[in-house]
Amino acid sequence: MQRAESIESSPRPIPLSLILLAAVVVHLPLLLMKLPLKSYDTNFHILFASHYVHHWFTPWNSKWYAGFSQTTYPPLPQQWVALISRIVGLDMAYMAVQFAAILLLALGVYRFSLLWVNVRAASIAALASVFLGSESFLVYSAGQLGTTSAAPIYLNALPYLFEWIRHGKWQSFLKASVLFTAAAAAHHATLLFGSFFFALPILALVLLDREDGETVSMPAFFARTAIIAAVVGVAIAVVLLPFWIALIHYPVTQTPIPHPSRANYILSPQWGINYFIVPYGALILALPFIFVRGAAVTRLRPLLLGFWVAFLVGLGGTTPVGRLLLGRAFEVLTMERFSYWATLLALPFVGLLASELVDRFRMRAVAVLTVLAAFSCALAVGWATYRPADAQDFKVDSVASWLNRDGHDKYRYITLGFGNKIARLATMTDASSVDGEWNSGRMLPELTRYGAGALTSSKYFGKPGLDALRAMLLHADDYGLKWVFVRDPYYDPLLSFAGWRRVDDLEDKTIEVWSKDGVPPAMAANAPQMPPHWQGILWGTLPFGSSVLAIFVVLIPTKQRVEIREERSFATDKNLVPGRLVS
Amino acid sequence: MSKGGGLFAALLGAITATLIVIGTVSPVSSASAYAGSETLLGSSSTPEEAVQGLGDEIRLQAWDRAYASLSNKTQFTESEFIHDITGYYPSLRTYATLDSFEVIPHHASSREADVELKLHWSTVVGISTSTRDLRVVRDGDHWKPEWPIVKEPTVPPQVIPVNYLRWDVIYRGAGDDWGAQDVEAPHVRIVDMHPIERAEGLVILGELLNEDVVPAYVTVAATLQSKSGASIATEGSFDKISHLLLPKQVTPFLIKFPDIGLSQVGSVRMAPLSSLVAASADPVIEIQDQQLTPAPDASLRGKLVNQSGQVVNVAHVLGTFYDKGGQVVWVADQYIDHALLPQTPVPFEIHIPEDLARKVSSQRTVIATYSSGGSQ
Repeated sequence: MQRAESIESSPRPIPLSLILLAAVVVHLPLLLMKLPLKSYDTNFHILFASHYVHHWFTPWNSKWYAGFSQTTYPPLPQQWVALISRIVGLDMAYMAVQFAAILLLALGVYRFSLLWVNVRAASIAALASVFLGSESFLVYSAGQLGTTSAAPIYLNALPYLFEWIRHGKWQSFLKASVLFTAAAAAHHATLLFGSFFFALPILALVLLDREDGETVSMPAFFARTAIIAAVVGVAIAVVLLPFWIALIHYPVTQTPIPHPSRANYILSPQWGINYFIVPYGALILALPFIFVRGAAVTRLRPLLLGFWVAFLVGLGGTTPVGRLLLGRAFEVLTMERFSYWATLLALPFVGLLASELVDRFRMRAVAVLTVLAAFSCALAVGWATYRPADAQDFKVDSVASWLNRDGHDKYRYITLGFGNKIARLATMTDASSVDGEWNSGRMLPELTRYGAGALTSSKYFGKPGLDALRAMLLHADDYGLKWVFVRDPYYDPLLSFAGWRRVDDLEDKTIEVWSKDGVPPAMAANAPQMPPHWQGILWGTLPFGSSVLAIFVVLIPTKQRVEIREERSFATDKNLVPGRLVS
Repeated sequence: MSKGGGLFAALLGAITATLIVIGTVSPVSSASAYAGSETLLGSSSTPEEAVQGLGDEIRLQAWDRAYASLSNKTQFTESEFIHDITGYYPSLRTYATLDSFEVIPHHASSREADVELKLHWSTVVGISTSTRDLRVVRDGDHWKPEWPIVKEPTVPPQVIPVNYLRWDVIYRGAGDDWGAQDVEAPHVRIVDMHPIERAEGLVILGELLNEDVVPAYVTVAATLQSKSGASIATEGSFDKISHLLLPKQVTPFLIKFPDIGLSQVGSVRMAPLSSLVAASADPVIEIQDQQLTPAPDASLRGKLVNQSGQVVNVAHVLGTFYDKGGQVVWVADQYIDHALLPQTPVPFEIHIPEDLARKVSSQRTVIATYSSGGSQ
């Protein structure tokens, strides 16, 4: 059995409390400044949470797409936001949940890394997660609360998976099962792809692992793997049952929408910066080490392979791997989450590298690593300013108040040129829109047929976007669509020639209100997709309940196998010379 | 440490590099959409490739590279090149994106070639096509296109008196419910209407007259009913109508019902809608040199001349075609994707379906306009 590294000359690990403190110092001010509100998806999550605030057991949301079901998106982090918002309001509740996810990530990376490297390297990996560019990119630029909450839960489940399959501990089985279920309730894709990128390397590690020269028996290995796969599978099927029902009845068959994360990052270098340089940051410098050390140490090879595949898929259209492995899903998923997972898989290597550098170069290494970590984090946080989701910041309060008065909300509306402010507006108004930002939840044929995203950004999708907009305006009467709020005069000729009239101005005439005569008041639409009441009850209890159960189960004290772990993995290995950087 | 680790790392590295090279030389479709035809092997070794490259640069709005690829760039500035493509004044073309393009070679020798570049622009009102004939010249191992620049037209300084009619409307105030005006709607009447069956479905054609002495903002909706009286579908005229009608003006309209056959229809219920609006007879657009070209390639051609002193950013030409009995046989339209400058003729061409062109005996043309900061 090959060992990762000796700890004989290693100083003590960084205390976990200090790592969490670093997360507090770095991220708490940014979250208190509500920086994620400028990101692409934060307001989308807040809109969903806002719906749960008022209709916890009714997942049918009439604010977008003339009505859509929120069972099309796992609800856990949004339900937590809804719950906490009772105390601090929606915006700060979002920040609180995101902050909890950041803290959990540091803990998860620490525990996950302990499976691969020694305790000191694992602690450095956890500290590195605080400064991870991809984490900051997803939190402050992309606003992907689902992904950034599911990944830490998943990482925290993996050591229990190892313990269960390696040693057959039922307590670990229980903890792994509830944590995996809670992770799925936070973000289904994380669990699906995490099974390949994270869990398969863990299974391979179990097979490689030796204790007193003994490996796990093959029958036990297969039986335990099958048991946990079956139990977790059933648990996820039950907890997210309304999600699966919606997916089976209304599969995502709409025309794919282009996304720059699928570009070739060499031919389109601007997207290479956005989706490779920014998320990876200084971690790019560690890539040669990851390959060399990961290939050299047998125990690390499964981790290397998991990282490698996630890395290749995360490169989007730079390689054909994503298209080959994911098939049509490549045209539906966005690729930045794969880079995120790749960077998480790389962190144990980063911890190892940093540990060796510090052993060899002492304070000089500490200084350089600190600068690089700070640079990676700062670049990703600053990216939200350099390439903001909203190029022009503006208020939608006046639009919301216009819609909420004089019975205007009897009719539906769309906006043009509002970017991702439409989620903010939907949160503030009682009126319904036929537009929205949750593409997998939309069912209106005018929106699904053409391969474009939100109507408010039609022009950026070229012909498909404008075809969708024209189709929707053509059928305005069918949907009770009477109001169009325009913040981009580009659309004025279409509205003018299509029979709409400008009737009002808002926000110092920067927003025009257009209206169409003869439109009947809005009626309920998409009724067949409306989940029945029993699904609403399940949706309101099981996903959230799974997280509460996970909290209680994880708090059950575990008898530590520290002495065994240290001996098993790291204590007696002499194959690597202390201080040697690359073997 | 295991033996062969170095080899394994080298293998993974080599596979990664190979995959990146494959992805770059032959990008997947979603990557090509962002990169155009740009690959590591992109070349301009033939006239068609040179024009293809130019089309890609225009599609990506990479003006620097597009301008740099031209052989006659010394004859004009990059700014003039961009304005020639996007328009010198705000118009449909200004914010249009190039949806696709065709490269059609016509003639080639060892030193030069003639290539037609057909550009399909995605504008806010639909696809607009323009054609440029390019001369492509050989420059060493490569070919370079010459851009046939059309420079900005200049309008001589002049005074244009404005004495057209204008109607203002005083509304109740800020709390007015815009959906229901408390005044009698202008009287409008459908003076002609009949359905015809086309390959793409049923089409309702007709004309609407403003009988009133005030301007009207009009739309027309049609509901198809089956022989049993059940409603089949309802559609509106959308942009196949001139929505602003001054007193006694007539507009054609066309309403499409895709995938519905005439045999399914028992009756058609028409619902013209009008509301009182402020309006002006200005700007007046004169139509010059109108000419009906018979089939094949039947069309209505002519020139629009803006008689007013203001720039008209978008013009919409609606042609109504009649048979010998004076009945409407077709309605067709074209958006002009360049701004109409005062006193500057701009050509238009409306195509007529070949099977209907033989029935056409006369026509009438209506122009709707849009000026930024104003209304139609």
